[in-house]
Parts: sequence; structure tokens; C-alpha cells
Amino acid sequence: MYLIVVSVNIGIFILLALSLNIITGYAGQAALGHAAFFGIGAYTSAIMTSNYGFSFWISLPVAFMVSGIVGIGLGLISIRMKDDFLAITTIGVNFVIVALFQYSSFFGASLGMTVKKPMFFGMRMNTSGYLILITIIIIITCYFIHKMNKSWFGLALSSIRNDEMVASSLGIDVNKYKILAFSLGTAIAGIAGAVYAHHMTFIYSSDFAFTVSIGILSMVVIGGIGTIRGPILGAILLGAAPELFRFFADYRMIVYGGLLVLMMRFQPQGIFGNDSFITRNFIQAYKNIFKKKVGDIIE
Amino acid sequence: MLLQQLVNGIMIGSVYALTAMGATLIYGILRILDIANAAAYAVGAYLGWYIYTLTNNLFLAFFLAMILTGLIGVLVEKYIYLPIISKPNVITIVPLITSVGLFTLTGDLLRLIAGPNVKSLGVKLRIGVLQIGNLRINPEWIFIIILTALLFSILWFILNKTKLGLAWRATASDSEIAQAMGVNINVSMALSYILGYGFAASAGIMVGLLYNSIYPTMGDIPSYKMLAIIVLGGLGNPVGTVLAGLLIGLSETLVAAYIGSIMPRDVIAFLVLIIVLLVKPSGLISKKNA
Amino acid sequence: MKRKLKSLLLVSLALMMAFSMVACNSKPVETNDDPIRIGFFAPITGPAAADGLSTSNSAELAVEIVNGNGGINGRKVEIVKYDDGLDTKQAVNIAQKLTTNDNVVAVVSGSYSGPTRVAAPIFQEAGIPMISGYAIHPEVTQSGDFIFSQSFSGAVQGKAGGVVAVDMLKAKRISIIAVDIDFGKELSESFTQYVEANGAEVVSLDKFAMSDSEFGPVITKLKEEVKPDLIYMANYYGHGAEIVRQVKNMDFDVQILGTEGIDSYQFLEIAGEDAEGVILTTNMDRDSEDESTQTYIKTYTEKYGLIPDMVGASVYDAFQVLFKVIEEVGTEPEDIRDAIKELKNFRTVTGVLIEYAPSREAIKPVQIQIIENGEFHYFDRIEDLDIITPVPK
Repeated sequence: MYLIVVSVNIGIFILLALSLNIITGYAGQAALGHAAFFGIGAYTSAIMTSNYGFSFWISLPVAFMVSGIVGIGLGLISIRMKDDFLAITTIGVNFVIVALFQYSSFFGASLGMTVKKPMFFGMRMNTSGYLILITIIIIITCYFIHKMNKSWFGLALSSIRNDEMVASSLGIDVNKYKILAFSLGTAIAGIAGAVYAHHMTFIYSSDFAFTVSIGILSMVVIGGIGTIRGPILGAILLGAAPELFRFFADYRMIVYGGLLVLMMRFQPQGIFGNDSFITRNFIQAYKNIFKKKVGDIIE
Repeated sequence: MLLQQLVNGIMIGSVYALTAMGATLIYGILRILDIANAAAYAVGAYLGWYIYTLTNNLFLAFFLAMILTGLIGVLVEKYIYLPIISKPNVITIVPLITSVGLFTLTGDLLRLIAGPNVKSLGVKLRIGVLQIGNLRINPEWIFIIILTALLFSILWFILNKTKLGLAWRATASDSEIAQAMGVNINVSMALSYILGYGFAASAGIMVGLLYNSIYPTMGDIPSYKMLAIIVLGGLGNPVGTVLAGLLIGLSETLVAAYIGSIMPRDVIAFLVLIIVLLVKPSGLISKKNA
Repeated sequence: MKRKLKSLLLVSLALMMAFSMVACNSKPVETNDDPIRIGFFAPITGPAAADGLSTSNSAELAVEIVNGNGGINGRKVEIVKYDDGLDTKQAVNIAQKLTTNDNVVAVVSGSYSGPTRVAAPIFQEAGIPMISGYAIHPEVTQSGDFIFSQSFSGAVQGKAGGVVAVDMLKAKRISIIAVDIDFGKELSESFTQYVEANGAEVVSLDKFAMSDSEFGPVITKLKEEVKPDLIYMANYYGHGAEIVRQVKNMDFDVQILGTEGIDSYQFLEIAGEDAEGVILTTNMDRDSEDESTQTYIKTYTEKYGLIPDMVGASVYDAFQVLFKVIEEVGTEPEDIRDAIKELKNFRTVTGVLIEYAPSREAIKPVQIQIIENGEFHYFDRIEDLDIITPVPK
């Protein structure tokens, strides 16, 4: 049971890391306030199920949409601001949205919100249920991102990431695709939020604070930005770290911080990113065994 | 009451400006959003406290802690940040994550070494309260205002009147051209970190003195608030940073005094930031003239 | 490539499902030679690390003392301690670990409301009793009949604060400064209710965030415009200390009334002389003649070189309650739960625990302390059952 609960938590963060990767990895836009959209999804579904008696299953797509719509706003900001200015503004958006949860009695204010566990075919959903649900959502998301990369949309994003000016001179509607990337990334974070709220049964404004955003970003970067495997493995690694290091007790946050520094110092492309130490060796080994071309493996 | 509140706001604002100055100086040259500057703030406060308990001399504690923290800054720059940013194709988030790691590590290291409990400096300043009519200014504030003014003057002098400062400004406006003109940009970078971490340390000690409390997580709030201030000030611009610090100090004070508790204090800084940036996307002052 | 991706994901799904089957393993059989295991979690790292230290020190002291006296019915007590870092996600993991892997018979929470609140339903579902040391969120004990609170509810303490302000100190115009989390909200609401029903007026309410430490603007406003005759502080020691320092700095002559949130040696450390004359509602009477209280204060101070505080005392008491009932009824969780429910007039270091209310919150006298010569001292005590019994919501 303990392992399942830890896995569900990690699963939620895999989804968050994958969704942030759409914005930061594929579209190349700085976003340091992702937890705000995680929170919007969580509060949306919590209010729907607890205050208005809707089913959890209806609240899932609604959380997806509400987060995505607010995400469009962030996309609009990204058109006006660039780089580090945008990065800090997204931090600001995170703080403002958390303050809204904290100060508005509609969101439970300083008492937080209690969420009832959902029913599934007449049964109360248990932890294994959440694990299966989150796994299915992750698989769908991965499949979708994989498809996206191969599509015109994915190509447009990668050209924006490389050089916005060139992209727009090639006739790519930069603004449209940026907004789409933001909206899609935040919408998926909204789903993660909905699952989180019902899994935790209690949410509070500080669950979605800026530090959580930084945590999600670290997962993406440590794993390997701009790939599918990177955010997944990064989320598993950093998500499990606080539990894995429990036997260090007093030293575990030091180990955690030190790992971040060392990783960035020696593997800035992420452990499983393209051209990282591990990926290179893995590909080499793969090549030796199957005598295949490297180009087939790197996406 | 308005006068007193304005003075309150300016005093708080000047501490903010001092806190953010370190991050501004570092951004000016290395283009890094250095959250670990808030770790230097806490380290400086602890060093200051430690030296003060040993020597009982506040000025010695102050300047020695600044210098020591500045030296730590140079080591961090030389062995951690410089190798990272000199690699090809490194995205801007990488140094940011590095600084988050450094910040987490330092905070918990302080907790292990000094314990989680609050340390009090217990400084009793012998200067009295300054009273002009209804306006009251406490001795701690007088001390802080004088020191801040002194530090800013020194900074202004270094940046504007010395060769070192000229090199710094040249590197800040365009490091490649500066290098081509024969400026040693490594020296500029080291200067950024000495000053940057030194300033952070001085802010840490002052805030520790002001609230009489030094604790491992004291850098948590500066870690994000200084980001708002340096961006508002136009990123990498020392003058803009002072203006932004004052603006945020005043906004927070006036909201707390006249509007009341409509939102948490930290949000005010970011709300001001978002509004200003939507109007002027490059911050209060965008031209780089230190 | 596509096929590879799909098969990879299918395998991972299958693995996760298999995981969920295997992980539901059964409990090992317990023998009399094994120690009695009691779970404990507290914020040992993170922003509340100082309270984490106090509570985990107290927990270990309690266990050490009981083992020094030969354990419970000849069995040693073992503590299973975890750090939640003041993070609800970690608290859920810990609660799950305690209920399924660690084989504990009962649990004590030494954490704040958030982590305690998310952990409570997990213990309830697993049927393992949990006593929360000092979490104030009303929904903690509402999680079910296995969940108890060793502290009086926020509503009770707020009301007691009202009694002190209006009936003892005769305040007429009261300003409230409250931290904007459940603690400040619960206390200031029930405080306001009592004082307004008893002839006093709340002339201002200022809320602030947990991370705030600058109170200059608010105190200036109170001094120059609001002019209250009493300030009620529903907040923690860091905030409280800055407020009293500002008040003294500005030469503002006003009585300050605090809560258990400032019952910490750290309040005295930061505020120093400015803390003199501050009155507070809390649960431990430092001048109590009770032997167990004095022993606790003495052994704690000797062992750790720190002065014990309210959070530590509450956790220590939670352990005393568990030791007492386990000695009487053994280690079956249901029996422990029933015995806690039946417990009456039990002497703890925070006064006589009269009983647990139907809401499973402790009913015990509220101690009023005053700070004199840099120490907490007896000022008064509220034992009126009308005040200290929680009203069901």
C-alpha cells in the first residue's frame, strides 16, 4: 500500500512534468508557475464534487478545460514578454493564484478544502484505482505528445524554440502556436490537479506554491528536457528521492540539493536527455547489439 | 500618520533594495537568476551572528561576514556557475535549477550546524529614538539607513569611478565587445560575485538585526521576492533595483495601512510587477546605466 | 518506434498493477518479546523545524522515561519516527507507511494542521488510533472515531482568550492581529464571538501571511488611528515577537494578549525585555505544583539544554495517554481507542485531562500565563466547563 501511494504521487508528478515539458521543452518558453495550474485543476474539481455534487468523472474534463482556458491568458502574456521577464512573471502569476485560493472563502480560504473520494461503479475508489487511473492518463498523454511531435504542430513548436524570428519569417503563426502550447500544457496540469485533490482528500493553497513549480521544473530538467522519457524518469527520480533517502533522515534535503547541483554541473542536458552520458552509452550498446542506426532511436 | 507610513515604506523598501542588489549585480554580468543569493543572505546572517557573539563588535561582524560571504561567492562562481554557463547550448533554466539546489543544500546545512532554533543577535544600540514631531524612527532603522546609504555610495563609486567598475559596466552592456576591447571579463564576473554575495550577506545581517532573529529558512522569502524586484528594476540595473525596492516597500506599507488584509504581503510585489511589465515589458528602467 | 513505445507503456502498466497486488501483504504475528511500536511524525526539516525539534525531543524523552521504568507491562516501547517536512504529500506517504509497513499500534502527530489533516483519514481507515498533539484544524478529529486531539480546539481557546480580555482585563476596544491560516482563523473567530457578546468591541482585524515579519505599518495604524486598549494576537512566536517589539519600539501603551502560538522559548529569545507583561492562553502552567509537570520541565531542560514549550508538552502528554491505556488494555487498536474514549481525570503535564469530548478533543483547563522576568508564570486558570467544553459544530 505504501508503495502504491508513493507511486500515485509520483504518477501525478510525471503528468505535471510531461505537461510542463510541452511549454518549456518543446515550445522553449520559460514557465515557473506551473503549480498554479495544477492548483486550478485541483480546486475546480474539488468545488464541483464537494460543493455542487458533480461526479469526479465529469470534473476531470472540466478541470482540463478551466486550466487550459486560464493557460491561454498566460500564453497571451508570453507574447508580450520575453525570456527572463516572462519567467519571473509566471512566478508572479503563481503567487497571485495561490493568494486567491488562500483569501477567497469560495476556495475554502485558510481552512482549505475537503474532498470526498469518488465512486467507481458503485465502489469507493481506492489507492490502486488511482494508480490505474493515473497510469492510463499518462499513457494517453505520452501517446498524444508522441503524435504531436510528428505533426505540423510539433514542427512549428520546435522552430519557435530554435528561433522565433526565423519561424515567423517562414510563415509560422508564432503567437497562435505559443498560446496553444501554453493552453495544452496547463490543461494537462489541470487533470493532474483533479486527480491529486481526490487522492489527497484535502487541498490547501500552499500545496500549489512556487516551490512546487520549481520542483516540477527540476524534474523536467534533471530528466532531460524536450524528450518524453526525460520528464518521466526525472519525476520518478526526484519524486521518489524524499522517500528513498528517508534512511538518511537528517541529511536528506542536503543530498537532494547536492544532487541538483552536481547534476546540473556535470549533466546539464539531463540524465536521460539527448546526448547525455547515459543516453549515449545506451545507444552505443543498443547499436552494438542490434546493429541499428542511431537515428532510429533518437526521436 | 501618512508621513510615518511613508517613512516606514521607504525604510522597508531600502532593505528590499539592498537584498535584491546582490542578485542584480550577478544578473548584470552572468545573466543568471541566482536564487542562491538568498542562501548567501542566510549564510551572511549566520556568519555575522557568529562573529558578533565571539567579538561583540557589530561593525567587525558586519564587514567580516560580508567579505567572507563574498569570497564564498567567488568560489561558487568559479567552480559551479562558470563551468555551467561556458558549456555550449546550455538553456537558461540550468543555472536556475543549480541555484535552487544550492539554496536547498545551504538552508539545511545551516539547520544541521546551528540548529533549527532562532538565534537572536541581542544588539542594544546606544543611539536613541529619532523623534521629529509625530514621526518616530527607531535606532535599528537609523543604523540600517546609514549603512545602506554607505554601501550604495561605495557601490556607485566602484562602478562609476574605478577602472574595475568601467570594466564591469562594459561587460554588462556587451560581454563579447568588452572582451574584444581587452576587458578581462573573468575579473568582472568575480567582482559580480564578491559584491553580489557580499551585499546579500549585508542584507541578511541587517534583517537579522531588525527582527532580532536569524534562522535557517530566513532566505525563503528573499529568494523569490528579490526576483520580483530585480525584474521590476529592469534586470541587471542597479539604479532600477533601488527604485523597484522602494516602490515595493511603499506599496506593501500603504496597502497594509490603508486597505488592510486583502492579500498576502508577498503577492503585492508580484502584482506590482505584473502590472508594470504589462505596460512596460522591459521593467522600470531598461537602459543599462549604472 | 511507435510499437516500441506502446509496448513499453503496456509493460509499465502491467508492472504497476502487479505492484499493487503484491504490496498488500499481511501483518506478521506479534509476540510479547517484541517492543510496542508507536508511530510519530513531525516537521523536522522545513520552515517549522524548530517545532519539529521540540516535539521530537519530547517524544523521545517520553519513550526513554517509560523504558527506563521497565517499559509497559514489561515490554519496551519503540518509536517509529518520520519527518514530514511540513508537506502534505509526504505526510500521506508516511501515514501509509506507518499503517501498512511499520506495524505500529498507535500514532502521535507532532505536526501542524495540514500534514495531520491528510494523515488522519488514512489512520481512521486502517483502524489505528492517532492522537494529534496540537493541530487545530477542526476537521482533524472529524475524520473518525480513531482520531483524538490532545489540545483543546481553536474555538475553546479563542473563547478562553475572550474571557481573559473581557472578564479579567476589562478591555473595551480590542484589535486583533491574526495569521491567515486555520489557527488564526479559528481562534480569532471564536474570540470575536465571545467578546462581542460580552460588551466589548473588536475595532480592527488585521490578517497577515504566515511568512510575514514586518508589522510596522499595522502597529503604526493601531497606535495613531485605532487606539485599542488591548491587542489580541492569534499567531505564532515569530510574528508575536515582532509585534511586541514594534509595540514597545513605538512607545505604544497597550495590553497584549497572546495564545499558545507564542508559548515558546523562542518568543522570549527574540522579544527579550519587550515580552514583559504579555499575557497568553496556553496549556502548560510553569508554576504548577504537579510533580509530573515539574519532572518534565526539569528532565527536558537538563537533557536538551532548551526550555520546553507548549508543542513539546502536548506531544509528551499524547504519549502519556497512550502509555496509560496500553498498560490497561493491551495493544489491540480498537481497545486502545475505546480506552482513550473512557479516560477520565488523567493527570498530564498540561494539567488534569478531564476527558475527551464527543468530538474527541481533550477537555482540560486553559492556563493563563504572564511573562515576568523573562519567564512564563501563573496568571490565572479557566476551569469553567461551559468555556472549556467544545461546542459540537
